[in-house]
Amino acid sequence: MLHKEISTCYEKESFNPVGRFRRKGRVIYLSDRNIMMMKNELSKRNPLRHLGLDMEILKENAGFGAVMAPAGVGKTALLVQIALLAMMKEFSILHVSLNDPVNKVTLWYDEILQDLTQAYPMERVQDFREDILLHRFIMTFRVDDFSVPKLEERLNDLIVQNIFQPQILIIDGLHFNSQVEPFLVEMKALAEKHHFFVWFSVHIHREEEKAQSGIPLSIVGLHHYFQVILKIEEKGDYLSLQAIKGGLQSIATGSELRLDPTTMLITD
Amino acid sequence: MLQASRNIRNIGISAHIDSGKTTLTERILFYTKRIHAIHDVKGKDGVGATMDSMDLEKERGITIASAATYCNWNGYNVNIIDTPGHVDFTIEVERSLRVLDGAVLVLCSVGGVQSQSITVDQQMKRYKVPCLAFINKCDRNGANPMRVISQLRTKLGHNAVAMQIPIGLENNFQGVIDLTTMEAIYFDGDNGEVLRREVISEALLALAKEKREELIDAVSLFSDDLTEAVLEGGEISEALIMEAVRKGTIARKLTPVFIGSAYKNKGVQPLLDAVTSYLPCPLEVENEAIDTVDTSRTVVLSGDPADPLVSLAFKLEDGAYGQLTYLRVYQGAIGRGDTIVNTRTGKKVKVGRLVRMHAEQMEDIDSIAAGSIGALFGIDCASGDSFVAPGVNLSMMSMFVPEPVISLALIPKDNKAQISMSKALNRFTKEDPTFRTHVDAETNETIIEGMGELHLEIYVERMRREYNADVTTGNPRVAYRETITRRAEFNYTHKKQTGGAGQFGRIAGYLEPYTEGDFLFDNKITGGAIPTNYIPACEKGFRQSLEKGPKIGFPVTGIMACINDGAFHAVDSSEIAFIAAAKGAFREAYAKAAPVIHEPIMKVVIETPTEYQGAVMGLLNQRRGIIVGAQDEGVMSVVESQVPLAEMVGFSTILRSATQGKAQFTMEFSAYRQVPVSVAEKIMEEIALRKKSAA
Repeated sequence: MLHKEISTCYEKESFNPVGRFRRKGRVIYLSDRNIMMMKNELSKRNPLRHLGLDMEILKENAGFGAVMAPAGVGKTALLVQIALLAMMKEFSILHVSLNDPVNKVTLWYDEILQDLTQAYPMERVQDFREDILLHRFIMTFRVDDFSVPKLEERLNDLIVQNIFQPQILIIDGLHFNSQVEPFLVEMKALAEKHHFFVWFSVHIHREEEKAQSGIPLSIVGLHHYFQVILKIEEKGDYLSLQAIKGGLQSIATGSELRLDPTTMLITD
Repeated sequence: MLQASRNIRNIGISAHIDSGKTTLTERILFYTKRIHAIHDVKGKDGVGATMDSMDLEKERGITIASAATYCNWNGYNVNIIDTPGHVDFTIEVERSLRVLDGAVLVLCSVGGVQSQSITVDQQMKRYKVPCLAFINKCDRNGANPMRVISQLRTKLGHNAVAMQIPIGLENNFQGVIDLTTMEAIYFDGDNGEVLRREVISEALLALAKEKREELIDAVSLFSDDLTEAVLEGGEISEALIMEAVRKGTIARKLTPVFIGSAYKNKGVQPLLDAVTSYLPCPLEVENEAIDTVDTSRTVVLSGDPADPLVSLAFKLEDGAYGQLTYLRVYQGAIGRGDTIVNTRTGKKVKVGRLVRMHAEQMEDIDSIAAGSIGALFGIDCASGDSFVAPGVNLSMMSMFVPEPVISLALIPKDNKAQISMSKALNRFTKEDPTFRTHVDAETNETIIEGMGELHLEIYVERMRREYNADVTTGNPRVAYRETITRRAEFNYTHKKQTGGAGQFGRIAGYLEPYTEGDFLFDNKITGGAIPTNYIPACEKGFRQSLEKGPKIGFPVTGIMACINDGAFHAVDSSEIAFIAAAKGAFREAYAKAAPVIHEPIMKVVIETPTEYQGAVMGLLNQRRGIIVGAQDEGVMSVVESQVPLAEMVGFSTILRSATQGKAQFTMEFSAYRQVPVSVAEKIMEEIALRKKSAA
């Protein structure tokens, strides 16, 4: 089954977002088979599957997702895990950071990838890393300079020259205050135009009053923009991850996922 | 004597290209009265800066070789090494940092923390060099020192704290406010040599108080006395703050930041005060040497001039009077007439003339004591050698030397040019360990290797100017490597019976990809199939085969050769026979082991005005580059990418024309990676063509 899958993959010329040379023909290369196996194994083992994210939701064009948490609880780490899972499924991710420089964002990916793949031999991890990181592009902006037209301008540079065509956008560090709504409207239009799903990190305050749904009152009026809302909470010695919105399995069973506070990885 | 060491500061000045390091050094020399007139880097007087002594440096406005100089400030001897800013000359920066006790990181107030600053910062971390930051060019349009301080924190992870705030900025930059003494300092006189200290103006007082609070808050961690004084709420003395800043800086937990404009003669003297007040003296830095008898043991050097000598030759120069060797003495002292030992060669040498260097001028001295930097004449050694007193078994640690990544063929015009070229190459290879040369056995061409196009270009130019060597150059060639991707078995018999003594040797085993190093030889012979005395010959045969891979003739790396069977003949087997057998076995298995070509991938960082970001990314994309990310910083953007070196030849010209000369880039080696199949075919065609034309 696996062999069939691999050979089909090489029969057609797959989408080449970053100008990578794909080998044609029916030949199955050992290193490529290793990479595919790793991708499959890691995707299947990834605890995020319990959230029912299953990428189908990510395929829903122009949708918005949010990861809500107070400062320092693991929003970026979770977004990076979502991005890595999507990258393993060959989705192209544009990671926009408004807080950190490119090398710090790269470090997030490297560290989480290292934690995820520590069971594999080093040389396989290296090939795997090079392969999946081709599906990522990082952009950083200063938060006060960031706007949708500016993002669109940068995005067009990439798309027109066929350098990178994102399918999922991650926007980390946007201030969700009372003025954010026009931004979301503009962003929605941009997402519809380019057909991508957008994940946001939403910084909430611990003491802030919350609506019944668990969403802080200050942003409760925005929740209709989002298809998925995930929330991370500190609970004693672990972090709990719940889906507030999104019709996900974990909610249906009333369970929650736990994040390991040292690695910020989801524990199975 | 120890007191003398306490008054020494060995500092380096490191920064990004064009941040104004050389201009700053020029001003330091002027204010310390080492020079009596200021010449600018590309000044209209045509003299050039004092530290840029090579004609080429003056012409291009960049510093190539770091020149050492010393000066005296308020009773302190300050040895300064001016270091090159271009990445291609990184070895110079590394060598300087190895021998320095502290550094001044110069940053441009407009450009902020740029890519080279990040490289230099990593090097400083590697050698644990404490540093101060100087934010230069505050008179420029767009100057924003506070933004640069926040970049120091976010991009470099420094605990940066402002020691001064500017009085005015850009055209209106007048001076600085010292937050320790709470004085406004203005720089009067034709060359800013007269310091006028005044009371802080009402308009800036509130800001100064706020920043002073921040400063005290940041440094109180390093001094209990200061913390106590803060808690008591009384007046905090200047001395208390200075002591805390010094402790934090030496522990590399704090980076005090100073501001100014060297070109406009502002802020340099307070920086010199800071160098003497906050950077460590040689005794405060722990230097370690390796015990040459037991190399796993390190010894901490005392720094006492009375102890036996331990010193390091960190730079060589071949001048009109023979080879000049720059030395840093870590322990003991070198005097004229002393006998010293080179630990690498074990040779004893007698010290002749000792000098203290000031760019290209020199001063004779009698001795160099611990903690100092000086130079000696007439000693034959290589860069990085240690010199010790007879009977001392210590060696300074070897310095990190990167492998060259690009090469160039040199063709001398005639016999005279050939002789001059040989002389020049002999000198350059001794001076710079990253610059190497060899003769290609097949094409008979002289090949030079280095760290980048500019690196080689500068040496070729120096060859022409300093040695009158009329040479032409071939196209730059990338240092490819070969490796295998799968296991392949061999069973090879070398047999020769053509009269005289015969040759016989059989080797069986396999080749396998190996990721932990360049080569591993594994002997699994049992039962004496190959006698033990022939095993080294087998390894030798494999090693010789690795020098030139059968695929394209580049070195083979990442390979394991395991032998597990074989045969020998009591009369006909010999070392030569087993070397030949190993070579044959390698050839046999290599073809079956799916060999591939690896090429050097460079980390390329381009800083460009934001309007050209798209064009720049397009250029990188055309060059098989993988763009890691783009960082938007207002008017400027930084694009980080990984690009094969082969595609970067001539890139500076292309980038200039695509961005109207407004973008600049830095490039450094990142890793070796497999070449895509279509490109590999092209490389093989090119190499075949080159061989054909050479024949």
